[in-house]
Amino acid sequence: MILAGIFVALSFVALLVIFYLAKGHHGTGRDLDQLARELRSVDVNAFRNLIDEREEQYLRENLPRDVFRVIQRERKLAAIEYIQCAAKNAAILIRLAEAAQSSPDPAIALAANKLLENAFRLRLYAFRVVPRLYLSMLMPGLSPVPSGLADSYDTITRQVVMLGLQYPTRGMSAAL
Amino acid sequence: MIFLRYYLWLVPHLLLAVTLVGAWRRGLHRYLPFFRTFGLFELLQFLTLFALSTAQVSLSVYRWALAFGSAVTMILQIGVIFELAGRLLLSRVTLSKGLRALMRWTIGGLVLVAAAASGSFAALAPNRELRVFEVVDFSSSLIQVGLLFVLLAFSRALHISWRSWPTGVAVGFGVLASIDLGTAAIRSTVGESAFIPVDITQMTAFHVSNLIWLIYAFLPERDPVPAAGGLGESDIQFWNEQLQRMAER
Repeated sequence: MILAGIFVALSFVALLVIFYLAKGHHGTGRDLDQLARELRSVDVNAFRNLIDEREEQYLRENLPRDVFRVIQRERKLAAIEYIQCAAKNAAILIRLAEAAQSSPDPAIALAANKLLENAFRLRLYAFRVVPRLYLSMLMPGLSPVPSGLADSYDTITRQVVMLGLQYPTRGMSAAL
Repeated sequence: MIFLRYYLWLVPHLLLAVTLVGAWRRGLHRYLPFFRTFGLFELLQFLTLFALSTAQVSLSVYRWALAFGSAVTMILQIGVIFELAGRLLLSRVTLSKGLRALMRWTIGGLVLVAAAASGSFAALAPNRELRVFEVVDFSSSLIQVGLLFVLLAFSRALHISWRSWPTGVAVGFGVLASIDLGTAAIRSTVGESAFIPVDITQMTAFHVSNLIWLIYAFLPERDPVPAAGGLGESDIQFWNEQLQRMAER
């Protein structure tokens, strides 16, 4: 009876969760300009600096141990914020690319497809990297961020610009 | 009560037939062909069981037909979920490897849980055909709920927007599988006294699922609205400036 009770409770939770998850999936039909306004700027160079191992080594050698630990913690929290911001931007770009994919112009559809692939890649990176960054705050020896993330973000920024030359994505790359 | 039971047995299948016709007319059957097969088999199963019921064959024959039909339906329903995953996620090169592995592990875990749980439930069933039916019913619901959860969570995390039809199909299966999961567990534990209430609840869930599929089969798509027209001269100038900014990095 207890096992049955567990599955009954599980079925109610599953029903609610499935409704909740499905609600967010349906294309919302929102204006792309409205989406563009939600983009936040990410300074890729500053982010690269935050995750640069040589920079970390330099700080380690030139700062007292306690100060280094505090600064490293701040740097990693800032890097997490950058990654989350880039991942949010990637989510918006996924919507842009999905809309552009149905364009009758094959060049636009191709550019949108590339953008979509890279935006997915960036979001997957973000899911892997953020926990590693938190972990590296506890274990300073751990190398937290694969260099691919900043490159990935750079790539999708370029692709938005290329797509913007062929498709109305105004304002988007300016915000990236 | 008899009227309600006949209503819940007949009307959802009628709605399913209308959904299949509507989906076929809109060309949606090409997008999810497994769903069409599932729908057609469900109708065939209904006609067979209805014929067996009116011909007043032995209860054992009816239950074996039900158990066999449920097993085929389970395979088709899981097929539809994999088809959804394939259409929405696995076709993307970046995602395919990770999601395939995730779904494989999910199925493995769910089969283990289903085997353990249905083993203890099936021990309570009074005869073999009911044991087979209960194992299939419970296991298929559990596997479907788990797979749908992974599929929806994965695409939510990646912000993949779904078109109307796949959303409707997923929600319909979600309602059906989650209600079946709870009620199958109750039926297996309580025994024969729970057969009719569980039957009515499951048929109501199937009715709701069919209403969802029917609505989504006729719902027009709401594509994202691109910003106005094509690119003007000022747009091209703006994007050229952007390219220059990128080149300077």
